[in-house]
Amino acid sequence: MNIMSVLFASDNENKLNELTIHRTTASLPFCGRYRLIDFILSNLVNSGITTIGIIARNNYNSLMDHIRMGRDWDLNRKNSGIAVFPPFVTNSSRDLYKSKIEALYSVADYIKWAKEDYILITNGNIAYNFDFEKLSDYHTEKNADITMLTYKTTAAARRILPKIDKNGRVSEIVLSGVSASSVVDVAMNVYLMKKSLLLDLVQAAFNKGQSDFEKDILLAKTHELKIFAYEAKGFVAVIDDIKSYYYESMKLLDKKTRDGLFDGGGNIYTKVKDSAPTVYGDKASVKNSLIADGCKINGSVENSILFRGVNIEEGARVANSIIMENGQILNNSNMSYVITDKNVVVKENRTISGFETYPIVIVKDKIV
Amino acid sequence: MNQKKECVAMLLAGGQGTRLGVLTEHVAKPAVPFGGKYRIIDFTLSNTINSHIDTIGVLTQYQPFELNTYIGNGQPWDLDRLNGGVFVLPPFMRAGSGEWYKGTANAIYQNIAFIDRYNPEYVLVLSGDHIYKMDYSLMLSGHIKNKADCTIAVFEVPIEQASRFGIMNTDKDNRVTEFAEKPKEPKSNKASMGIYIFNWKKLRAYLVDDENDKNSQNDFGKNIIPNMLGNGERLFAYSFKGYWKDVGTISSLWEANMDLLDKNSGLNLNDSAWKIYARNSAEPPHYVGENGTLKNSLVSEGCEIDGTLKNSVLSHSSVVGRGAVIENSIVMPGAVIDENAVVKYAIVGAGAHIKKNAAAGEDLNGPNGKGEWEIALIGPDKTVEAGAVVKKGEMV
Repeated sequence: MNIMSVLFASDNENKLNELTIHRTTASLPFCGRYRLIDFILSNLVNSGITTIGIIARNNYNSLMDHIRMGRDWDLNRKNSGIAVFPPFVTNSSRDLYKSKIEALYSVADYIKWAKEDYILITNGNIAYNFDFEKLSDYHTEKNADITMLTYKTTAAARRILPKIDKNGRVSEIVLSGVSASSVVDVAMNVYLMKKSLLLDLVQAAFNKGQSDFEKDILLAKTHELKIFAYEAKGFVAVIDDIKSYYYESMKLLDKKTRDGLFDGGGNIYTKVKDSAPTVYGDKASVKNSLIADGCKINGSVENSILFRGVNIEEGARVANSIIMENGQILNNSNMSYVITDKNVVVKENRTISGFETYPIVIVKDKIV
Repeated sequence: MNQKKECVAMLLAGGQGTRLGVLTEHVAKPAVPFGGKYRIIDFTLSNTINSHIDTIGVLTQYQPFELNTYIGNGQPWDLDRLNGGVFVLPPFMRAGSGEWYKGTANAIYQNIAFIDRYNPEYVLVLSGDHIYKMDYSLMLSGHIKNKADCTIAVFEVPIEQASRFGIMNTDKDNRVTEFAEKPKEPKSNKASMGIYIFNWKKLRAYLVDDENDKNSQNDFGKNIIPNMLGNGERLFAYSFKGYWKDVGTISSLWEANMDLLDKNSGLNLNDSAWKIYARNSAEPPHYVGENGTLKNSLVSEGCEIDGTLKNSVLSHSSVVGRGAVIENSIVMPGAVIDENAVVKYAIVGAGAHIKKNAAAGEDLNGPNGKGEWEIALIGPDKTVEAGAVVKKGEMV
């Protein structure tokens, strides 16, 4: 495809609190064996987009460790492939970049030198399975300047809401929506346009000291530019706080939803860890749960998601919880509505309980 | 010019594996699935790289397509190297001649040029159909220390079973004094594992002589080893302690899978110091439904389980419907077991489909249960129709 991509890895970190102390949003573990960024990387590769620049702002160690040279996504290429742009200081401001416009301005050379004519701006906090060729075809068909990806949801609070006319054109943009009582079109912050257009827009905005891509460019130029919207159907999970993380994760216990994410077309790739298959002991009891490889289960697990290498000892009960990599839940502990980050140990006979709308998060490497 | 290597491994993967029946109808034995997410050859390939040997020739011959595709560029085993790596070596035509690999020794003979490229001191000869975790570098150190011409890995079997194996009789220094192929009255219990380390210069000369001998069967056990012994070369036995199983038969393949469920079998896949690598399928975690019951079982990624699984190995991407019961069985990748089907003491091949209410294998505890059983085998991509019965010991 004649499209390159710039991927923002660091959206909404502040709202994910404990889960993003040590990582970018994009490297947030999701659905038992993935990181959020796996979905967009796989979508891009499956759509034939292989020139990908990743912009990381902070805490990017775990992201770099996860992506390495991009081999697990077939992105270790001689031509194109992955480039990661760690935090940098822009020449003009002598400060870490603060906004999408500044970041795009600072990688303008990378964008210019890429051989593709189109650019897709994406982010690392959405789990979905999407073929960007559809977006590209639509963009061409509509002769659009910019085509944005949208999805239908009621979760409209603090999100960007385009008003879409019957031709699919965006007639108006509301920057900060409120919760909707019925489903509305919400932007996914994914945009396709000609590289030359983006570079012109970014240069002009940067010169004026503008920083907000959505407000200063999209909203300001809604009528001047032909902005179209394309709806991503199927499962779309935008993760921007603990509540949405928990809610969207648990949705995947439903087979139809899961198939929408994993059987939606392309494979979802992730870093291969060579874990052995999961071992169930004689005392195991598991209902309605997703279990990754490398676990040892001899306790009870219900309505939960276990990542790789989790150990549930005899007598332990885990319900409605998400246990990330290498979590150890020892004898006779009880957990309900809990999210444990990587390497958490819950010792014998502990009881930890959160609530559906307020799951308790236990920070990485903690021993309870 | 290739950089010199101390040791090059040659993995014999050309055997037809007829004793595995329908499982090897379309794939070579080393490519048969094992342990939920592996192929048999993963153990040998992983042992090799874990032993810091990074140049491996895989000698294929029979049904090589799937095996070749599986090995690919060797990346899953970290064998995609600038210098060395993994090479699939099928028999090929030469000017004026060309033939199949006539025997194990002939397979190496036909690839002398490949080995010479790396100018190695030693050549390690391996089989692609064993399940074990072995550090070949320890065997190599012993070989060097003994100033041996050939070192043969041996496994100590119960003496009453020794007459089924090639047996090494050794002196007190472990030097081989006699080699007896399946002796009626074994003098030792040291069974050859079919793993050899040779000094390359020495082996090369023996291979050339062996090729010129029109009466030779071109086999390591039958020809090369006896010839070397007869000429007074220094042959040593290296005793391997640990889990080892030749999975050349249906029952040994089944047993080795069951050993994964036995904590005391010595076969541990969860060993971060000696990982077994495999080419990964991109599958989400497995899902256990409301009606799932799992006891003493191994389950891999991409499975959907809403039935009962006991003492069984469920390979990646397989489906177990509601009410289905699987006991003491191996289900290979992508197999589908429909609602209320019963599978006991069976191997279900990759992609096989067992439809509703069908039954495969025998129930030991059933009305006729006298503890006698034989593995039922459902071949890859075969279908067992709804309500049909595959009896114990049957192969479909």
